[in-house]
Amino acid sequence: MFFRLLLESFARRRSRKVLAVLAVWLGVSLVIGLLTLSLDVGDKMNRELRSFGANIKLEPAGAALPVRVGGYELAAAVNTGYLNESKLPALKTIFWANNILDVSPRLWTKLDGVPLLGMDLHRRPAYWKLTGAWPTAPDECLLGATVKALPANVPLRVTGTVTTGGTEDGAIIAALPTVQKLADLPGQISEADISALITPENKLADKYHLDPKSLTPAEYERWACTPYPGTVAADIQDAVPGSVARVVRRVSESQGVVLTRIGGLLTLLDLLAAVACTLSVMGVLTSAVLERRTEVALLRAIGAQQGNVLHLFVSEAGLLGFIGGAMAGVTGLLLGRWLLHAVFGSQAETHVVLLLLAPLLGLLVAVVASALPILHTLRQETAQVLHGN
Amino acid sequence: MNNSAVVLENAGRAYPGGVHALDSVSLRIETGEWVALMGPSGSGKTTLLNLVDGLDHPTSGRIWVLGRDTTEFRADDAATFRRETMGLIFQQFHLIPYLTAVENVMLAQYYHSLVDKGEAMRALEAVQLTERAHHLPSQLSGGEQQRVCIARALINDPKIILADEPTANLDEVNEAKVFEVFRTLHQQGKTILIATHDPTLGGLAQRKIMLRHGRLVEDRYSGSSGPRPARSLGVATTS
Ligand SMILES: Nc1ncnc2c1ncn2[C@@H]1O[C@H](COP(=O)(O)OP(=O)(O)O)[C@@H](O)[C@H]1O
Ligand SMILES: [Mg+2]
Repeated sequence: MFFRLLLESFARRRSRKVLAVLAVWLGVSLVIGLLTLSLDVGDKMNRELRSFGANIKLEPAGAALPVRVGGYELAAAVNTGYLNESKLPALKTIFWANNILDVSPRLWTKLDGVPLLGMDLHRRPAYWKLTGAWPTAPDECLLGATVKALPANVPLRVTGTVTTGGTEDGAIIAALPTVQKLADLPGQISEADISALITPENKLADKYHLDPKSLTPAEYERWACTPYPGTVAADIQDAVPGSVARVVRRVSESQGVVLTRIGGLLTLLDLLAAVACTLSVMGVLTSAVLERRTEVALLRAIGAQQGNVLHLFVSEAGLLGFIGGAMAGVTGLLLGRWLLHAVFGSQAETHVVLLLLAPLLGLLVAVVASALPILHTLRQETAQVLHGN
Repeated sequence: MNNSAVVLENAGRAYPGGVHALDSVSLRIETGEWVALMGPSGSGKTTLLNLVDGLDHPTSGRIWVLGRDTTEFRADDAATFRRETMGLIFQQFHLIPYLTAVENVMLAQYYHSLVDKGEAMRALEAVQLTERAHHLPSQLSGGEQQRVCIARALINDPKIILADEPTANLDEVNEAKVFEVFRTLHQQGKTILIATHDPTLGGLAQRKIMLRHGRLVEDRYSGSSGPRPARSLGVATTS
């Protein structure tokens, strides 16, 4: 009889049910869409944040004491030792290989007292301000903003000038092989800028830094499996003999701040969406329950316990919520994909867990949203509802 | 504490603002009595019925139903007691709109004990609705709906039947059928309490209680009780 009641109520009052399902569907879609976004946003933002510059710098051991002048890192400019370029491919085999997005080798040298920088000219840092043209041929070069002119005997052609805000401003910039040839340092580099996907440091990382021995085994495992800047840098350093990998705090910390803030913002939006969803579903279900006040009263009159009535109405709402939520799982994922595509122009991963979460979320929202109006109706004077003229 | 079907002892129901819907009414209804509660609109008939069936509580006095003190019943206790002992008939029928006639009857079985479709069909047969058993309330006339409501009230074999203006929304033909059902129930020994201002229905009862402004103003046994041959319509009896 219980299922008959549910079934008939569904079959013969379709439009009301459709409205409730729609409300759940819309609300949960939004929540799932935003969840998709927040699950993927760290990864996507990390990739975007490469434009902040490299967050790890690989240098020859012995040259790694950073010299800071007015906030700029000058260590590279006074570098003396070199690394062998041929050892860089080893980075593709390390534990965090998949987190390494980009390795950009550089060679710093001097020509007639003017610093000369060799780099991969295919990588044009987004934040460099260029006047003129970007060099393409092996004998072309750029002048840093503070370099007045090319020394007379340098066999290069200037295509433009560049302002970087960094040490490059005082250098002549050309293709890496060209500089290696000019400096007679074949296959040598003086540093490599590495962009890695990292997780902002948190309490666990702080705890490790204070005293590595204070971590419990479980904490240690979690620490070791999290791509904190320091963890990834250590792994990189181990892979390239004679090197020191240094975290560029200025970059990694601002990335961390941005990631944490965006993560927080999305969590907040998710919560707001969930609340808004519950409220709108509550609106729909409240009017649906109020419409059925006499039905509730009648059930009480023929002897149904309050629990019976609650059970019946909440089951019905829960079923509606489950259906709406299941539909929302699919549309929510699509919405998330679309959002990611619109914001980052990239594909989202399909999080199957969200497909399972959505119907449960719908169920929960509907149960919460229906319980209140039903409890309220049960508390009303049954007598007045039944005998009011 | 007593063997009477219903006992009210100075029972009152006051609403905030000083409205006394029922004002210190004392009365005793014996098992098997057919009582008509009469009085103008607003005199407290519905209020009295609801104090007896436990949908409402007295604000003063005490009430016993079938020997049980129901005054302090919690809502769920009252519901349990009601489904075991009482059948309710309403002026507006209150059928579940998405259930068929027989399903509406079965609903009362469901909350009472076990669903038995055959028994539900027999209850509809007793009120001459066999052909309409699988119709929705919206497909039934007012009289037919009221008979479904009656079948539902009787399905669990209640000791007391409480009806609030059961014929107010009916035409004469259906009214007569309803009268007949009550007459049969009376012959079966049920205790019947009907609130009505229909003099014909009131006249059928063996006892008339008049209310005015929430007070009991008259309590009279009429000599003639039981079936009145002149109005008998030969309706099948419930068994
Ligand atoms: N919820 C309520 N609040 C205030 N007064 C009420 C309420 N319900 C009923 N009353 C009053 O109680 C009195 C008796 O009502 P009722 O028992 O419904 O009368 P009857 O059924 O005889 O027409 C009326 O004056 C009515 O206005
Ligand atoms: Mg009334």
